[in-house]
Amino acid sequence: MKLTEALRILQQAPKTASLFRVALACGFTPLHMQTFLAAHLQQRLADRLVTISTGLYGDVPVTLTSLANVDGVALPLEWADLDPRLGYRGAGDWGPAALPDILAGAMAMLDRIAAALERIPPAIPIAVCRPTLPLPPIFHTAGWQAAEAELELERKLAEFASRIGRRCSLVNATRLGEDSPPAGRLDLRSDLLTGLPYTLPHAAAVGRALAHLLAPPAPKKGLITDLDDTLWHGLVGEVGAENVSWDLASHSQLHGLYQKLLASLAGEGVLVGVASKNDAPVVERTFEREDLLLPRDRIFPLEAHWSAKSGSVERILRTWNIAADSVVFVDDSAMELAEVAAAHPGIECLLFPKSDYAAGYALLRRLRDLFGKPRLSEEDAIRLESIRQGSGFQAVEGEASAETFLEQAEAAITFDFSPASDPRALELVNKTNQFNLNGIRYTEAEWKSRLELPGALRMVAGYRDKFGPLGKIAVLEGRHEGETLFIDAWVMSCRAFSRRIEHQCLQTLFERYAAKEIRFAFQPTPKNGPLRDFFTALAGQPPDAPFALERTQFEERLPRLYHRVIDASTSSNP
Amino acid sequence: MNPIAPRLTACFQTVFPDLPAAEIPAASQATVAAWDSVAAITLVNVIEEEFGFEMDLDQLADLDSFSRILDYVSREAPAA
Repeated sequence: MKLTEALRILQQAPKTASLFRVALACGFTPLHMQTFLAAHLQQRLADRLVTISTGLYGDVPVTLTSLANVDGVALPLEWADLDPRLGYRGAGDWGPAALPDILAGAMAMLDRIAAALERIPPAIPIAVCRPTLPLPPIFHTAGWQAAEAELELERKLAEFASRIGRRCSLVNATRLGEDSPPAGRLDLRSDLLTGLPYTLPHAAAVGRALAHLLAPPAPKKGLITDLDDTLWHGLVGEVGAENVSWDLASHSQLHGLYQKLLASLAGEGVLVGVASKNDAPVVERTFEREDLLLPRDRIFPLEAHWSAKSGSVERILRTWNIAADSVVFVDDSAMELAEVAAAHPGIECLLFPKSDYAAGYALLRRLRDLFGKPRLSEEDAIRLESIRQGSGFQAVEGEASAETFLEQAEAAITFDFSPASDPRALELVNKTNQFNLNGIRYTEAEWKSRLELPGALRMVAGYRDKFGPLGKIAVLEGRHEGETLFIDAWVMSCRAFSRRIEHQCLQTLFERYAAKEIRFAFQPTPKNGPLRDFFTALAGQPPDAPFALERTQFEERLPRLYHRVIDASTSSNP
Repeated sequence: MNPIAPRLTACFQTVFPDLPAAEIPAASQATVAAWDSVAAITLVNVIEEEFGFEMDLDQLADLDSFSRILDYVSREAPAA
């Protein structure tokens, strides 16, 4: 991004949108660093107005301890922040006599900064970039030899990073090095004349890296892969199950690496399905091979037949109950990719490069970026199993009458009304599209502050039945005032549809608060049709704006509920 | 007309979006309230990006109007 482009992005920001306030805690003159950070954040948060506040020049700890009303903190740390003698603008000595004092001062400053970061309220995300500029030539060694004092500084910095890594998100220094090679980072002219030590490209790269951490893209949820010449090398229908390969000896290790990555993603809660033009028995025989690095039980569903792949993808998406734009499709055939892309707008289609190792490496990294998430949750670990069980649920439901099936499902819902610090609640609110009251996303700080409103209520629902647990799958948030409830946020995971959990949520709210009506801050979005359908069934007509539902009206149309309801304050979650 | 002028005008519009285009040729630090030290550095960097050369920051104090900057860029920019 060029400076001109950054300035234009900021000029076109929606001036009346809700604010996204970021504190830029840098010890140098923020200047274009501020512009680039704001522009990169603005690109990611198109419906917000990004504002950046800056702190005291040359005093990072003081800036960090005087934050107020911010939605995020960005800290691009540099060596000069640890001791001015590690930069170029100070007049302090560089000689060997000064080194012990410089080291001691730098280490003390790292401790002060770490302590200041740890005092920032947990709801506020913090993005930190460790020093990116080369140390000045203050050591006795030649430039090609690492000095003992330099290594000591780096050791202390690594300790610092490890300590704050529990609280902050850290820029990946290696990736930053690809975007901004070290030799092109320091602008001594700018440093000495304006106080900004970065070249414009480096300021843009650091701003982009910090923005990525403060406003990360939503990770994709599912990956659909082809088999022949993608998951393995060779056409299994021609060479047989025993002759497809994915190993070094067969010069097909790229496929093995792809399998390993998919297995890793599956372990992190990413759904992995297969769409292959093949005979199903041949494919199943191949999956019986014990040397496969992606076990068969990590794949669901597996579509192997000779029909169009767009149809396979259609069925897989329906089983997963997620939208195409949350899914990546990988195939070695550009034609198959085009066919799927045409039928499923929004799906990310990636070509598997059969013999181009550089492109293969780029694919592995691209997949990691698309599916990367800052932390793993309990729900990530059980997602595949719950989808599989949900599929079993639907299959059995199709055989028995729905009523009989729900009655025999042995369902239990746990309602937790005190989930103040549960990160899963906000994660659900910010990533759920289909059953979502209005599509509004919240920052951690906004989400936390809503609990401080008078009469605030927040309810998280967890579900399990005889097919297994779904984990925490629904969140309602709002406030109560007399006999009226105001619901501002309501989301439910698509995995939890068809179980009348949404009915039980409202029933529980009406009862717990002895409410006569619930006012929903409903707004239609391009994707929240399932929730609109639910409201239509209750209210008799589709809503197109906020509306109120009376308890008598709700109870008249309430189907029979079979759940065992558990209060989390008196029991453990299902 | 100096061929540099339209490109320089675009630079001014980027840095001073509230300044009407008609007023840019007569713009100076004295007449544009938003032309502070930060804007001056930003303007220099935007001009450097646009024209692909490094300006002499020691002359920043003298580059205090559109016309002076136009003269400077016409003189110093490569292939200007």
